[in-house]
Amino acid sequence: MEGIAIALAACVGVALICRRYAVPPIPFYIITGLLLGTAGLGIVETSDVSEWIAHMGLLFLLFTMGLHLHPGEVAKRRGSFLIAGIIDLCVNFAAGFAVAFCIGLPLYDAVVLAGAFYISSSAIALSSLIDNRKLGFRESDTVIWLMVFEDIMLVALLILFTAQEVSPFRIIGIILCVAIAAFACVWKFQGRLRQFFAREDELPILAVFLAVVVAVAVSEVTGVPDSLFVIILGSAVSLAAADRAEAVARPFREVFLVIFFVFFGISVSFSGVPSLLILASVIVLAIITKLVSALVIGKAVHGRVLSGIDIWTDTASRGEFSILLALLYGSPAVVPVVAAMVVVTSCFGSFTGKFSIHIRRWCGRIIAGK
Amino acid sequence: MGFFHQVLPGIGTKYELETESGDLISVIFMPNGRVQLYTQPAQCPECYAADLNPMETRRLGNVLTGAIMEAEEEGVEIAFSALADLRIVVHTYIIREQLSGKSITDLNIRSRTGVTVLAVSRDGKNTVNPRPDFRFMAGDAVVVIGESDQIRTFEQEFME
Repeated sequence: MEGIAIALAACVGVALICRRYAVPPIPFYIITGLLLGTAGLGIVETSDVSEWIAHMGLLFLLFTMGLHLHPGEVAKRRGSFLIAGIIDLCVNFAAGFAVAFCIGLPLYDAVVLAGAFYISSSAIALSSLIDNRKLGFRESDTVIWLMVFEDIMLVALLILFTAQEVSPFRIIGIILCVAIAAFACVWKFQGRLRQFFAREDELPILAVFLAVVVAVAVSEVTGVPDSLFVIILGSAVSLAAADRAEAVARPFREVFLVIFFVFFGISVSFSGVPSLLILASVIVLAIITKLVSALVIGKAVHGRVLSGIDIWTDTASRGEFSILLALLYGSPAVVPVVAAMVVVTSCFGSFTGKFSIHIRRWCGRIIAGK
Repeated sequence: MGFFHQVLPGIGTKYELETESGDLISVIFMPNGRVQLYTQPAQCPECYAADLNPMETRRLGNVLTGAIMEAEEEGVEIAFSALADLRIVVHTYIIREQLSGKSITDLNIRSRTGVTVLAVSRDGKNTVNPRPDFRFMAGDAVVVIGESDQIRTFEQEFME
């Protein structure tokens, strides 16, 4: 427990500084972990307890992600939602796969790196839109729905990776059964569920925690990852009480997720990493490919290339979902590459998100030839 | 004029109003109770934003719906269209030193102005429907009700 106490105390200090200067704390939690752990001073090591807490952080993150996947709202989105999502997927996933292939990763690891390369950090993007007051721009709607599209693609990737270990028919069958049961239950009892989540006592908190723990238990029995179960649960609950369930789950997510980020940093070892030049090239490409896809989206959806600059400044960061893919499915060769990519792109993305209006003006002047 | 609303996953609910002159006004309600308000003039790529807490949101709402707003005093006018367009004003005032120690009967408020004192707030405690012998103290916040002419007379008689 001393390790967790030291890591958490360091993170409280980091969070204080980050809030003071209005920058996202995620990359700095990871840097704190790198400094404290295997890659740095080596004063904190992972333990069973820290791994359990970090895993719960991951599950609460995915549960709240599921809450944002309201089937009705997603179904209403057509045209621009699909166009933006497909452009983002094609450009960045393909580029990530090509990068992984060039640095000599085997096929499975290449797909993991491509996924981590493709998925932006929703946490950083959304907090940038709110904190930097950009929600009034039409491009912000595109960014928000792009994050939802990436979430759906993450679910597809999780199913794909799981299907490598368990029979694809078995996994799809179980997921469908669980999804139908969860959505049918919520649909049938949505009035009562809404009343239940409106309670001011501890029962909604206990119920949300229980739901996540039950997902872990069911996963152990069925062999299907708990990450998929909690996403389905979150999406089902979003039919009845998305806002209230998110408010209840938020304290768990905030605390456990900090442990998740810092212990990810602690566990990273750079011993098997490719050369610094290759690492730098991967990071630069990760930033450039997001710029390319954003410019194409800006032109295709908003009719202006400059809109793409706004989209890029908020989607350049990789974060929690890239780490998730690397931790759950990546080999020791992939994890440090993803760690470095997340740290650098999220710091870079925080900067571009904060100064996006200046960056757009500057690019506008260049395009206009002034 | 267009009016739209949509759910923004992970953010809240966004309402958008496009005015006849082409200006765009967006209001985003977030689950923590805060509201972000944006205005984007027509033909202008820039957005102007304000971040409001729930109290500020209500005050802005009062202003936009035509209520009277002053630094420490505020009010709301209610129109009853079913009662020959009867318009009733509810207004708050802060009692000044010269009224301190005087009762509602001493001041003869209703017969002099027509307004009724609905409630008095003193040191965080509220007295609803105060008795005629209720004595004011400087700093009391009073809520009065009446028609706009009566409210104006009350202001001239006691607040100037």
